[in-house]
Amino acid sequence: MYDLIIRNGTIVDGSGLPAFSADLAVQDGRVVKIGRIAGDARETVDATGKVVAPGFIDPHTHFDAQLLWDGYAKPALSHGITTIVPGNCSLSLAPLKAKHRMKLVGMFNQIEEMPYKAFEEGVEWNWETFEEYLDRIAKGLAINVAPLVGHSLLRLWVMEDESMQRTATDAEIGEMQTMLRRCLDAGAVGLSTSFVDMDETLQPVPSRYADTRELDALASTLADYGRVLQIVPEFYDPDLTIARIDQLAELSLKYGIPTTFSPLFVNGDNVAAVERVMARVDEQFARGARVWPQVQTRPIDISFSFAVPSLLFIRFPTWYGIMRFGTHEEIVAAFSDPERRKALVAEAAALDALWPRLILRQVASDANQPLVGKTLAEIAELRQTTPVEVMIDLSLEEDLDAHFLAADMGHNDDARVSALLGHPRVHVGASDGGAHILSFSTYGDTGYLFSHFVRELQAIGLEAAVKKITADTASIWGIPERGLLQPGYVADIAIFDPKTIARGDEYYVQDVPGDGSRYVRDSIGVASVIVGGEVAWQAAKGYADVHRGAILPGASA
Amino acid sequence: MSTDMNAVRRSIFPVEGDTWERIAERELGDAENGVSQLQSWNLHVFMRPAAPEGSPRAGNPILPSDVIFLEPPLAG
Repeated sequence: MYDLIIRNGTIVDGSGLPAFSADLAVQDGRVVKIGRIAGDARETVDATGKVVAPGFIDPHTHFDAQLLWDGYAKPALSHGITTIVPGNCSLSLAPLKAKHRMKLVGMFNQIEEMPYKAFEEGVEWNWETFEEYLDRIAKGLAINVAPLVGHSLLRLWVMEDESMQRTATDAEIGEMQTMLRRCLDAGAVGLSTSFVDMDETLQPVPSRYADTRELDALASTLADYGRVLQIVPEFYDPDLTIARIDQLAELSLKYGIPTTFSPLFVNGDNVAAVERVMARVDEQFARGARVWPQVQTRPIDISFSFAVPSLLFIRFPTWYGIMRFGTHEEIVAAFSDPERRKALVAEAAALDALWPRLILRQVASDANQPLVGKTLAEIAELRQTTPVEVMIDLSLEEDLDAHFLAADMGHNDDARVSALLGHPRVHVGASDGGAHILSFSTYGDTGYLFSHFVRELQAIGLEAAVKKITADTASIWGIPERGLLQPGYVADIAIFDPKTIARGDEYYVQDVPGDGSRYVRDSIGVASVIVGGEVAWQAAKGYADVHRGAILPGASA
Repeated sequence: MSTDMNAVRRSIFPVEGDTWERIAERELGDAENGVSQLQSWNLHVFMRPAAPEGSPRAGNPILPSDVIFLEPPLAG
């Protein structure tokens, strides 16, 4: 008797080969047979009319904190994601000395927009080393975790406050290598670094104080394990991005390691720039280097209220300064003061094309409910004022609890994004799952891949789309025994209806520790998600009390 | 690097103690005029606030991980 049989499904096995009809049997957490299966099983799943695919892998997330209170990484698992990569952008939650905890919380708050209160009330700080952190999250894991080690954390551990002041000595670099080795021994999938991020005081994060000597040494340690290096380049500038591609290529060739950078965005106004970037990627691959770009599927939507800082305003120093450093009362006072308000309105003029398009998406008061869903242009016309003035007025009327949506801000040129998704060297990533929780939903990119690019645009085939988010990702990232449906592989499986799979509407939910809220999307068309051979989520029943998630590649790799 | 690759903007990474002046002298051989050229080609660094007083890099905006371009953007 098998543990599980999935019957009558359409197998899309992750290889990119054409789909076929078959049953699939699971025993001891692994796929053991694909074909016509006569035997019985402890549990049977009927997949008639459904696709049976490998579980999806999301290589760019920031679930580091959420995993401490939610081993399912909700709602990612319900979208068919069975493996996540946290620790991107030079930030992980370990190794971390106790005295640096609030420093790290500040960086997470600034860079990934994770609320302080979530850390205060959702995190029991009972680890320092990477092994201890992994032990801590491993107890309740329902999803697989392939964790990166944050370069900024390595520097902070070894150099403390001077990690944000100077280059490292040879001895300090040696200590970082030793610590990285410990992390890799504990099961880390690689190292992440950042060339753009700033901390909560708007100073560069520690990784940006590393010289090429330091990064070279850390890459040599990665080489001993064959693990990956992830970077955030200066993605807003093609010349800088190309310079980083060349830097990664040299490290990849010298040490034989895979490297990846994220994000890579394409808009109608930067087509030539992205073509140059991709041409450089192709040239470096032709030399034998591995520099894998990550592209997200969804367009950029940003929601905000003035109760918390939003990266949308980072180009406006007066606005951002008030949001970043002002108390609630100080923000209200700034908006209420005629002179300061005048200065804010003047500064906002640089983006006059944006403000009219903003949509009022949520308010607290009954009086303003009829305005929800209208653009600021429409509300401004009703009130005989300007969109920026009305944005400020609504925020004051709602005591800063007015939420606005800037929709389709970029990465929304279907033809260009389709071309990138079809490129053999591009993999799907950069979801930022678990981060920016008050700005947008980072869930549902895989559903959007199928609904928009496979079904609506027919820009990419079903089998190719599955391969992009399973076998390709597993291969690039060195995630073992995942990404394919083959006998012997671990049974991480997503079962979905190819005619309906999609991302649900974005909505606001209060489920973050500290009475915090976040934007999420439910999955549509996903029927069952299986992790390590056990059904972890079903559309009909929700999350199951099973915890078969693993650390990948893990300590034994 | 293979000779059949397309030309990209020439750049360097800073070495320990690099300032605009040092880079201009070493890479351009022109400390006098080179600084303003370097600054104009590297607005991503020049526009950044310099390290605060008391820091080992006080007054210097250049980070050890920066890409420093040694020429203007290439013609389209």
